[in-house]
Amino acid sequence: MTQTELSKILYVEDDPDIQVIAQMALETVGGYATKVCSSGQEAITEGGAFEPDLILLDVMMPEMDGPTTLVNLRKVPGLEKTPAVFMTAKVMPSDIERYKGLGAVDVIAKPFDPMTLAARIQEIWGHCHGG
Amino acid sequence: MADDASNMAEKLAQLRFQYAGRIQDRIAELETLIAGLNGEDASGRNGVLELLRDAAHKLAGSGATFGFPGVTTVSRNIEHLCVAVLEGRDSSENLMERLRNMCAHLYDAAEVQEAAEPRPTSDAPRPAAPHLHGSSRQTILFIMEYDEAVKTRVLREMDHFGFETRFIDHPAKLHDHVKNYGPVSAIVTGLDFDGEDEAALKPLQAFRDDDANGETSIVVQTHVDTMQARLGAVRVGAKAFLVKPVDMADLVDVLDQVIHGVDDDPFRVLVIDDDESLARHTEVVLQSAGMETQVITDAMDLFEAVESFSPELILLDLYMPGCDGQEIAAILRQKEEYAGIPIVFLSGESDKDKQLLAMELGGDDFLTKPIRASHLISSVRIRASRFRELRSFMVRDSMTGLFNHTTTKQLLETEIARTTRSGGKLSLAALDIDHFKSVNDTYGHAVGDRVIKALARLLRQRLRSADVIGRMGGEEFAAILPDSGVDEAEQVFNAIRQAFEDIVFRSDRTSFNVTLSCGVAAFPMYDTATTLSDAADKALYAAKHAGRNRVVKVD
Repeated sequence: MTQTELSKILYVEDDPDIQVIAQMALETVGGYATKVCSSGQEAITEGGAFEPDLILLDVMMPEMDGPTTLVNLRKVPGLEKTPAVFMTAKVMPSDIERYKGLGAVDVIAKPFDPMTLAARIQEIWGHCHGG
Repeated sequence: MADDASNMAEKLAQLRFQYAGRIQDRIAELETLIAGLNGEDASGRNGVLELLRDAAHKLAGSGATFGFPGVTTVSRNIEHLCVAVLEGRDSSENLMERLRNMCAHLYDAAEVQEAAEPRPTSDAPRPAAPHLHGSSRQTILFIMEYDEAVKTRVLREMDHFGFETRFIDHPAKLHDHVKNYGPVSAIVTGLDFDGEDEAALKPLQAFRDDDANGETSIVVQTHVDTMQARLGAVRVGAKAFLVKPVDMADLVDVLDQVIHGVDDDPFRVLVIDDDESLARHTEVVLQSAGMETQVITDAMDLFEAVESFSPELILLDLYMPGCDGQEIAAILRQKEEYAGIPIVFLSGESDKDKQLLAMELGGDDFLTKPIRASHLISSVRIRASRFRELRSFMVRDSMTGLFNHTTTKQLLETEIARTTRSGGKLSLAALDIDHFKSVNDTYGHAVGDRVIKALARLLRQRLRSADVIGRMGGEEFAAILPDSGVDEAEQVFNAIRQAFEDIVFRSDRTSFNVTLSCGVAAFPMYDTATTLSDAADKALYAAKHAGRNRVVKVD
């Protein structure tokens, strides 16, 4: 039986403004425990120990972008199959295709609405678990 | 989770404030980058453009999240321009100047939101309407069509209706167009290309799969009217299926229906709570959902607030000193003009009996504090939108959705009173479709109705949201333009007259054009509702008399 409750989210984002508001949206509105990493490298080093139920990644980040980060996170024990969601301000059809090819379950458009972000994540989570 | 809502609201307000403080710096950074373009060779220039592209991208991705949608829009334009130049799709002529202009807009966008934060008090002058009539209501449209003749006609006419139209001559190019231009409101498409009946379906399906948020509506316009084609259209999520030849007015009608969120005014919510800090929390939560709010902490201010703010919903605390929520509800229900406004109690009272008692006296709903922000927002939104819909049946003309005769007259009184107080400008236009009776007689009433709807659509498109547009009966219309003098109004209506003249209407096998006449008069030359509308009517009569298809002003 797979686990069906979403409680922990690993969130990778370099923009400090967005970090704060998204973390608040996820924690305060959604009630999820959220670990924020400011770079792909940080996520790869520290993400495994957090044992997230879901990974949320910004696409455009300096040094290591979101897709590359995800490819590397897949090599971390325990994160091989964790559902991943990208966030991006550039929702191009061809890109979405590519992200899904990398194993992302969905893409959230930026700018997002802080009041509804958690609901959107919950909805995606529901889809992942056949809900 | 007891303090979820208030916590979130407070933090949100704080974050917005901080972000607002940083926006100026961010824009200044963009300006520094732009200045760095000076004197660079091609490769150096591209390096700077890439930095600029990424910086703008970041700003676009955060602006609206913090309540600055304008910042997102303008930043996205900057990003697109950088990409276009980098990909050689833009000549890069006057590039620095264009980018600087966009930055200036960006400062405006950051300012506008900040200035909108403090609530207008009831006696403050109304903020000036945006200066350009119809400037901000463009919706982007893709037309996928191989027929050159159709292309030319559609391009010209759609422009009159305020659609920014782009043309794609083959479905294989759809993908690239979407990539280059970003999100579109609607795609109007043929089905057969290269002699194959449903050639467009596959690219459309690919597009639909990628359109993650379903923001783009697909409208099929074709002469292939088979069950197979219709089924194919439904499967790619087409919202309408029109069989050629298609009347442009019909197409515009359909587009109006399928393109969502074109110009939804924010809901107006009045919050009555004696605890000011609680009221402010509620306010921030509702404002974060895009609603307009006003707070009163003293019930004695009730009538003045309802009168000046015309709320579409009242959020009421149950227990207040002096005059409690139930009493306020009862008072409102006893006044006929306020009887329909939804009243929602927001209170810590959890005793069901007491809640029901409060509802008996005129409440529509009872929300128990503490409440999650998202629950509060949806409860308010559902009730307010229902109220707006019901009210629209009373004050609007059912065919065009414009204000009806009675309401327009009332609004004219209100606007004149307001302008008298503020000492500003106001003009009134009376419009009438030329030879409308012969349109009806020649082509039938159904076609006549289309002509009327087309004019209504055009007026809504070209006028500002602060302008009042009414259908006064039959083929007569009126428009009240606050903050506009007689010369400006004349210009605006001349442009509308020309655009209307260019619309081609279709009936069976013939097509025809229709014209309109218009009379314009202004305050303070005429300073009562009666004298002003008489003057506009007289000018309209003069326009008819001088040969129709013209605008006559009184000055």
